[in-house]
Amino acid sequence: MDNGVSPCPSLTTNSIIPGYSFYILHYSFYRMHTPPRWADRLLNWFCAPHLLEEVQGDLYERFLRNERLFGLPMARRQYAWEVITFLRPFALKRQPNEQSTTYTLSPAMIRNYLTVARRNLLRNKTFAAINITGLAVGLATCLMIMLYVVHELSYDRYHAKADRMYRMTILGQIEGKALNIAYSSVPAGPTLANDYPGVEAVTRVDNRQGTFIVTRGTESVKEEHVAHADSNFFDTFSIPLLKGRAGDVLTQPNTVVLNESTARKYFGNEDPVGQTITLGTLGLYRVTGVFQDIPSNSHFHYNIIGSLRSLKLRETWLSSGIMTYIVLRPNYAIGQLEARIPEMVRKHISSEMKQLLGVSLSDFQQKGNSFRFGFQPVTDIHLHSHLEGEAEPNGDLKYVYIFSVIAVFILLLACINFMNLSTAGSAGRAREVGVRKVLGSHQGQLIGQFLSESMLVTFMALVIALGLVFMALPAFNRLAGTDFTFSVLVSGGMLPAIFLSSLFIGLLAGSYPAFILSSFKPVSVLKGRLQIGARSGWLRHSLVTVQFMVSISMIIGTLIVYRQLHFIQHKKVGFDKEQVLMVHDTYTLGDKTGAFKSELRKLSQVIDVTSGGYMPAGPTNHSVDGIRLEDGNPQATLYREKSFYIDDRYIHTLGIALAQGRNFLPAHPADQSAVLLNEAAVKRFGFKQPVGQQIWAVGDGSPNSQRRYTVVGVLKDFHFESMHEAIAPLIMFYGEDNYQMAIRIRTGNLPELLKTLATIWKAQTSNPFAYSFLNERFNAMYQSEERVGRLFGIFAGLTIFVACLGLFGLAAFTAQRRTKEIGVRKVLGASVGSVVVLLSRDFLKPVLIALIIATPVAWYGMHQWLQDFAYRINVEWWVFVLAGALAITIALLTVSFQSIKAAMINPVKSLKAE
Amino acid sequence: MKRSYLGEFEELVLLTVATLGQGAYGVAIADELDRQAGRPVSISAVHAALHRLEEKGMLTSHMGDATAERGGRRKRLFSVTALGSRTLHDIRDMRNRLWDNIAPNTLPATGIL
Repeated sequence: MDNGVSPCPSLTTNSIIPGYSFYILHYSFYRMHTPPRWADRLLNWFCAPHLLEEVQGDLYERFLRNERLFGLPMARRQYAWEVITFLRPFALKRQPNEQSTTYTLSPAMIRNYLTVARRNLLRNKTFAAINITGLAVGLATCLMIMLYVVHELSYDRYHAKADRMYRMTILGQIEGKALNIAYSSVPAGPTLANDYPGVEAVTRVDNRQGTFIVTRGTESVKEEHVAHADSNFFDTFSIPLLKGRAGDVLTQPNTVVLNESTARKYFGNEDPVGQTITLGTLGLYRVTGVFQDIPSNSHFHYNIIGSLRSLKLRETWLSSGIMTYIVLRPNYAIGQLEARIPEMVRKHISSEMKQLLGVSLSDFQQKGNSFRFGFQPVTDIHLHSHLEGEAEPNGDLKYVYIFSVIAVFILLLACINFMNLSTAGSAGRAREVGVRKVLGSHQGQLIGQFLSESMLVTFMALVIALGLVFMALPAFNRLAGTDFTFSVLVSGGMLPAIFLSSLFIGLLAGSYPAFILSSFKPVSVLKGRLQIGARSGWLRHSLVTVQFMVSISMIIGTLIVYRQLHFIQHKKVGFDKEQVLMVHDTYTLGDKTGAFKSELRKLSQVIDVTSGGYMPAGPTNHSVDGIRLEDGNPQATLYREKSFYIDDRYIHTLGIALAQGRNFLPAHPADQSAVLLNEAAVKRFGFKQPVGQQIWAVGDGSPNSQRRYTVVGVLKDFHFESMHEAIAPLIMFYGEDNYQMAIRIRTGNLPELLKTLATIWKAQTSNPFAYSFLNERFNAMYQSEERVGRLFGIFAGLTIFVACLGLFGLAAFTAQRRTKEIGVRKVLGASVGSVVVLLSRDFLKPVLIALIIATPVAWYGMHQWLQDFAYRINVEWWVFVLAGALAITIALLTVSFQSIKAAMINPVKSLKAE
Repeated sequence: MKRSYLGEFEELVLLTVATLGQGAYGVAIADELDRQAGRPVSISAVHAALHRLEEKGMLTSHMGDATAERGGRRKRLFSVTALGSRTLHDIRDMRNRLWDNIAPNTLPATGIL
C-alpha cells in the first residue's frame, strides 16, 4: 500500500457523504482501513513483479468487500490468509525478461568478461607478461615438486595388501646402545606364521649378500640387486610375474626369477625359463620365471630373486638376520600381535641368551637392556624408517615437507605479484570501474570481470607451466635422482586436480584486486578525488616484504647447505682419500689373490696394496662384535662395537696415523690375536694404558667361540662412517677381507695405469674388472646433501626471480605514476642521481624489514637441519649479512632499471603530456 | 488433434471467463464461481488456474484501465482464445455424446420426475 489516500474514492462512490468530509473521516481511521501491513509486505516480497499489480488489486478489492460485509477485523484476517495462499510456484516464479538477463554468470557476460580481459592484457603487455611469467614459473615449480611429493608418498602403496603388511624389526637396547635393526631373526617369521592365527602370511627376503658375479656361459656380469626370498614372495608383494606362476617359481632350491630387464640382458629374446645362470659361489640356478621390473616407488629394487631354500640359514634367534614381512588377516590389529611379542621373546630367546651372553633374560632386562620385535607398516618404510640394514637408503619425510612448503611459497609469491600489480595499476582501472558503475554494473559483475581476467592469466600461465615442466623434467630428474615422466601429470586424476587448483589460484590471486577495485564509489572516482594506489600502498609493501622474506630465507638456506657440504668434504677425515684406487670384487680371484697383489706391488706407480673389505667410504662390509673386558664374568659389561678386519698394509695404504703402539706385524704369529683400537674405543673402554690391555670377543655366544685379544696399537680417530655420525669406537682385528682391494697410487698418467691393472686382472680371472676412486666414493656419501643443496639453490633462484619480477613491475608503476612529479623536480633542478635515489628508496624498506624477519626464521630452520650432522659448521653472522646484501643488491638492480629510465626522461616530454 | 486436457476446476474457470465476457478478471471470476457453483474459491486458486490456462494457450489477457476502486491498480482482463473455445466445445460434444449414449432409465432418478 504505497498510496494511503487512494482507497477513499471507492467508498465515496456509494456514499452520500460529500467527499471532503469523508477525507477527514478517512484520515482519522487511516491505519484501520487498510489490510495488515505485514501481509502486504510479504506479498510484495515474494510475488513475481509482473503479477504483483493484478494480484494486489484483486486482493484489495476483495478486502474492501469483506470489510463491508464482515467488518474490518475479519477482512484483515481474510486478507492475510489470502496472501498466504498465494505462496504457490506460479506466483513465486519470476518472469524471464529480455532486458534483465545480464546476471553475472550468463554466457554473454562471460564472453564479454573474456573480451575485456583480453583487451586489458594486450593494453598492458609488460604487466601481463610479468604476471604470466611469474605465475608460470611458480606453477611449473609447484608441478615439479608435486610430482616429487606424490611419488614419495606413494611408496609401497601399490601392493594389494599394503594396508595390512608390516615389516618385523628388532628393537632394543644393549649396554646403553640402541638396537634398531631393519631385519629380524631367521626363525621369527615362521614362528609367527605357525603360532599366531592373526598372521596370514610371512615372507622373508635375504638381501644381506646383495652383490654377486653372475655368469651365463662365458659371460660374467656383476649384479648388485640380488636377493633370496621365500616362495610366497609374489603372493605377498604385488609384483606381476610375466612368466611363471606366483606360487611355484621359488619353491625349489637353486631356482631363480629375473626381472624383465635382467632377463633381456642375459637372454635377449630367448625364453629364459629353464635356462641356467651361476650366482657367484652359490652355484648353478635354474630360471623359473620373469617378473616385471619393480616400480621406482618401492623400498627395494631387486633384479634377481633366488629361492630362499638355496641358502643355508642360521636358525638362531640372536645371531641371524633376514628381512621379514608379515601380512595380517583382515581386521586383525597389529596391536594384538605386538602385545604377544614379550611372550614370544621369553619363550624362544631365553635359552639362547644364556648361551650367547651368559645371562638369563631377566638379568639381561634388569640391567636396563631390552630386546623385542617391532612392526612397521610397509608403506611407512620409505619415509619413516631409518634402521640399521635397510634394503636401500630411504627417503626423508623432512624433505617432503620442506619442498612442499617451498612449492607453496613460490606459488604464493607469484600470486602476490599478481595482486600487487593489479592494485598498483588500479589508477587506470578506477575510471573504468566508475563508468561501468554509472552505466549500471553491479559490484558482482565487476568482481566477475576482474576474476575472469585473473583466470585468463592463470590458465595461460598453466599452459606455459606445463610446457616448462615438459622441457625441464629431464634436468630435474638428473638433479633429484628420480625418473618422473611427464605422462604422470596428464594422466588419471592429476589433470583435473591441476585444473581445479589453477582455478583456485586464479581466484586467490584475483580476489583482492577484484574486491578492492569493484568497491570504488563511482562519484569519487569520476571526480578524480580518490587517491588510488595510496590506500593499498601499505599492503603492497607488506606483500613485497613477504616475498623478500621467503627469498632471503632461501638464500640463507642455500648458503648454509653449501657451506656444510664444503665443510664435510674438506674436513680432515683422518685418512688420505686422494690417490687411492679401489678394485672391486677381488674375492673372485680366490687363491690367486696373492699372485695378483704381488704383481701389483711390482709396479712403480703402486705404493701399497691392501685387502680392503672394510672401507671408510662407499660400499663396504659391516660387522659388529660383542666385546667384554674381562674373561668369563657374565656380569661384566657387554659392549657391542663396530669392527674391521684388516691386514698389516691397511693403515699404511690409507694413510691412517698411529697414536700409540704399533701396527700388525706379519712376522709375529702371535698377532693373530692382536687388535688395534681407535681413540674413541680407548675412551669407551676407559683404558689409561691401552697397549697391552686384553679384550674378549664373545663370538656367537658358545663358550668355544669366545676369544682373547691383546691391544697392540691405537689409531688416531678417522671418519669410517659419514659425518652424520660421531666417530664411533672401532676395533680392528688382524685378518683379511678380500671383498675389495685398495691401492695407493702415485701417477700422472692414470689411464695408462688403469690399462696395466686391467691386463694384470685379466691374466688372473675372467670376471669383469671394476674399480673406483676412494675420494669419489667419499663424495658420493653426501650425494643426497649435495642434491638438496642444488635443489635449494635452484629454488632460491626461482623465488628471487619471481620476487624481482614483481618488484620490477611495481617500480615501473611507481615511475609511471610519478612521471609528472619527476618532471617538475627536474625542472626545478633535481639531478638524475637524486631522482633515482628518491624512487629506489621506497623499495629498500620492505627488503630491509624482510631481512630482519627472515634472519631468525632461517637461522632456526637451518639450525634444525644441521642437527643431523655430528660434525657441522656454526651458523655465522656473515651468512645473513651476505644473504641480505645479495637480496638488496638484486632488488636495487631491479628497481634502478626503472628508476633510471624514469629519471632520464626529458621533463619537457613528461610535463607536456597533459 | 490431441487436445490438452483440462482439470475440472480449470474447465470451470475457463467457462466462467466465457460467461463473463469483457469483465473477466480474478475477483469477478471467483465471485461468479461462488455464485454459480456454490463453492467458495480462494483468489489464489483462481489466479493459479488462470495462469495455467494462459500457459496452455486457452486464455489471453491484457491489462485493463486503472480503476479507482482497486487503489488505482489495473485489472488483468482475460478472454478465451480460439483454442480455448475449441477445447470447451470438444468437451461439451464429448459430454453430449456420452449423455446421448446413456440408455433411458439407467441412471437412478434424482428427483421426483
